[in-house]
Amino acid sequence: MSELSFEDVSVRYGRLTAVDGVTLRVPAGRVVGLVGESGSGKSTLARAAVGLVAPSGGRILLDGEPVRARGRHRPLQMVFQDPYSSLDPRMTIGESITEAIPPGTSRAQRRAEVARLLELVHLDPGRAASYPGQLSGGQRQRVALARAIAGRPRVVIADEITSALDVSIQGAILNLVRELQRELGLSILFISHNLAVVRYVADDVAIMLRGRVVEQGPAARVLHEPGHEYTRALLDAVPGHRLTARSAT
Amino acid sequence: MNRRTAHRWLRVLRTPMGRTAAVLVLIVLALAVVGPSPWNARADAVDTANILAGPSAEHWAGTDNLGRDIVFRVLAATRLSIGLALAATAVAVLAGLLLGTAPWLLGRRAGRLVTGVVQIAIAFPGLLLALFFAVVFGVGATGAVLAIGLAGAPTFARLVQTLLAGVASRDFVAAAQVAGVGRFRILLRHLLPNIAEPLVVNATIGAGGALLGFAGLSFLGLGVQAPAYDWGRLMFDGIGVMYVNPAAAIAPALAVLLAGLALNLLGESVAKGFGMDALVGLPASVNPSPAAPAAPAPPAPESAGDDASGDVVLDVRDLTVSFPAARGPIRPVRGVTFAIRRGEAVAVVGESGSGKSVTALAVSRLIDAAGRVDAERLHLLGTDLREPDSAVQRRMLGSSLAMVFQDPASSFNPTQRIGRQLAETSRHHHDLGRRAAFARAVDRLRAVRITDPERRARQYPHEFSGGMRQRAMIGMGLMGSPALIVADEPTTALDVTVQRQILELLTAIRTADDVALLLISHDVGVVSEVCDRVLVMYAGRIVEDLPTDRLGAALHPYTRALTAAVPRMDSPLDRPLPVIPGRPLDPADVPVGCAYADRCPLVSERCRAEDPPLERHPSGHRVACWHARPPLAGERHDDPARDGAAEPASVVETS
Repeated sequence: MSELSFEDVSVRYGRLTAVDGVTLRVPAGRVVGLVGESGSGKSTLARAAVGLVAPSGGRILLDGEPVRARGRHRPLQMVFQDPYSSLDPRMTIGESITEAIPPGTSRAQRRAEVARLLELVHLDPGRAASYPGQLSGGQRQRVALARAIAGRPRVVIADEITSALDVSIQGAILNLVRELQRELGLSILFISHNLAVVRYVADDVAIMLRGRVVEQGPAARVLHEPGHEYTRALLDAVPGHRLTARSAT
Repeated sequence: MNRRTAHRWLRVLRTPMGRTAAVLVLIVLALAVVGPSPWNARADAVDTANILAGPSAEHWAGTDNLGRDIVFRVLAATRLSIGLALAATAVAVLAGLLLGTAPWLLGRRAGRLVTGVVQIAIAFPGLLLALFFAVVFGVGATGAVLAIGLAGAPTFARLVQTLLAGVASRDFVAAAQVAGVGRFRILLRHLLPNIAEPLVVNATIGAGGALLGFAGLSFLGLGVQAPAYDWGRLMFDGIGVMYVNPAAAIAPALAVLLAGLALNLLGESVAKGFGMDALVGLPASVNPSPAAPAAPAPPAPESAGDDASGDVVLDVRDLTVSFPAARGPIRPVRGVTFAIRRGEAVAVVGESGSGKSVTALAVSRLIDAAGRVDAERLHLLGTDLREPDSAVQRRMLGSSLAMVFQDPASSFNPTQRIGRQLAETSRHHHDLGRRAAFARAVDRLRAVRITDPERRARQYPHEFSGGMRQRAMIGMGLMGSPALIVADEPTTALDVTVQRQILELLTAIRTADDVALLLISHDVGVVSEVCDRVLVMYAGRIVEDLPTDRLGAALHPYTRALTAAVPRMDSPLDRPLPVIPGRPLDPADVPVGCAYADRCPLVSERCRAEDPPLERHPSGHRVACWHARPPLAGERHDDPARDGAAEPASVVETS
């Protein structure tokens, strides 16, 4: 269990400032929900944490040390939004997961580890030889989760992992995230634009608007007593909001 | 190579062109391998008594200036001609791969330099480069191989760069980087396998080109030198005696033509075979007849039409859509019946593959030519949409039906101003003048609440945000006076806050102009915001048709499960979210009975044996379920599936 913290992090693409001085803490063993609309910089922040883009200012620390974004073993792992693009169509799901296992283990150990991970995400270990094309979207996202965990990460970043899925499958993936978090005691940065989804998995919530964090705090507090007007707008826009209101009466 | 790839190669061989090309290439290759041994002796047999003879029974294409048989020389030259062409292709592919992958391996700055060099090289015509290199490397076979190979390298390098850039932006490459896999290893494991197919296809076509290039160089005397000979050299020799024996030049030319054609055709047919992908969806049920009435349980003719007064905008009865596929027609929509009245908002809800979008496309006459739409009745404002396409019908559809798609980014032409694109609709359908049409466009942009519409109308689509583009798309639909707006997942690609605004806009338009709305979505939560009535679709059928405010008292277990699956701001945090066990119907077998049976908590023997028809229930819903019933006493009114059908809630989707 580790703590991930962003200290005054900025990311610029040319003249555009995507992330503007963000300070955010993901405490050890907790889930922080990061909410904002597209273009608010939340995905850029995630990509900066795992080293896919270089921050132009500030520091990203893991237990007080700068995050290592080079070398074979990476302490941060990421799950991507689109399970149709995040798995190599030419590799079996077993191979994809194996690739993320830290080196220095025997072939038999790796095979056992793949089976264990598949079971952890509730997939039949016998499917290790399947190709992504043979799986449904929900199953692919399970594989992507297994691959992230295979790297023995200290922190997992989940970037909109349910927004490309049908609502009917979303629930199963959210349940899985909660279950894995509890079993493995992971620290998770959970990014989403849907507050109802974030509410379900996150202990703390941070709201991003145009590259800045405008509000953060415990989920219960932020969602029940929003301090920023943008948070209130987000709350009002949750799909099914009216359904909730109507059936409650 | 995985099974799918193998399957694709097989599919290429099944087409007539693919098969012909493959056979030709095999013959040419076989000649190249075994060719020289039996014929060398005869090809080199000097017969001074028979110099420059014309075609005869003994020498089919005559003899050359030493009396050697032309046909045998052409056959014997196969090995050298093909060998050199393949060697040149290998040089081109190798050099192209090195140059093409360099930007990925070297990083940004050095990579840009390599890209620049390749682009400059590409600016020179290939033949010019080949001649330049031929002069540099000197006359002869080796020189020609290098010349033609290097001349082909820049094109190949650029192809590699372009393909790589496409694959490198995919998330699985980012995932491998995050996992700590090195760049070279990513190149070998992830990038090259994913671009291999187009590269192979292009190399095949390139080999055909190299063959022609070689014939050209040798013909000019820059390639193969005597006493060795390839087809080009034979043509060079033959052209000199053209007027004595034309066959001496024509025979090698035919060989070049045939071999070049074979390689090109093979490349083309492989490219074609790999480009097309089989349709996915539901195949026709076990019943081979595509006609819906033959299906086990035709939907009751009751409903829709019978209560149709004059204000029915859209009347659909027993709509079936089928697409041809390898294993019999696929039927994504299997007998759908519903009607929409003026000003009514109806939602079609279902998971991916339920047929909801195909239904919308069929109503808008947007099913492509391969698909077949059958219906007992398909009327929009009294016009029969089943009749063949005509100018009158297009005009009617153009002005009274508006379509809004999921992705506003791809629904506009990026090279034209928004205002002009909107105006075009009016100029086309209402014969408005340019100025009047533009004024109407500005007015409609204002109607969809775009601020400063005069200025916005003169902007290009990329200057609009996603939400604004979707508004403009709706505005385009409002250029006419639509009686029906069909919106297919109009907010799925948008943020929640923008989604809310678009839904509010649709509602406002509906109430202001009494426009009917058909809203397609996978999210019950979204449609409950704007619609009066919900049609729940599963596996190509409507399983329940109910008023939105009765979603809490749905009769079909699937409707209840779908509603419960939406996370809400009041979902209990101490329990897992309810999920629907299993997965949507396997396209391979649509069962005889209820399609939902395998995932249903209430399934019984009857469900597996008979498909329930869509029938009117005493409560007013139309429902297709043998166990249709209101939520049991004790079930919470607002989320029945959470308690009443508690079983699926605890089962985690594992299949």
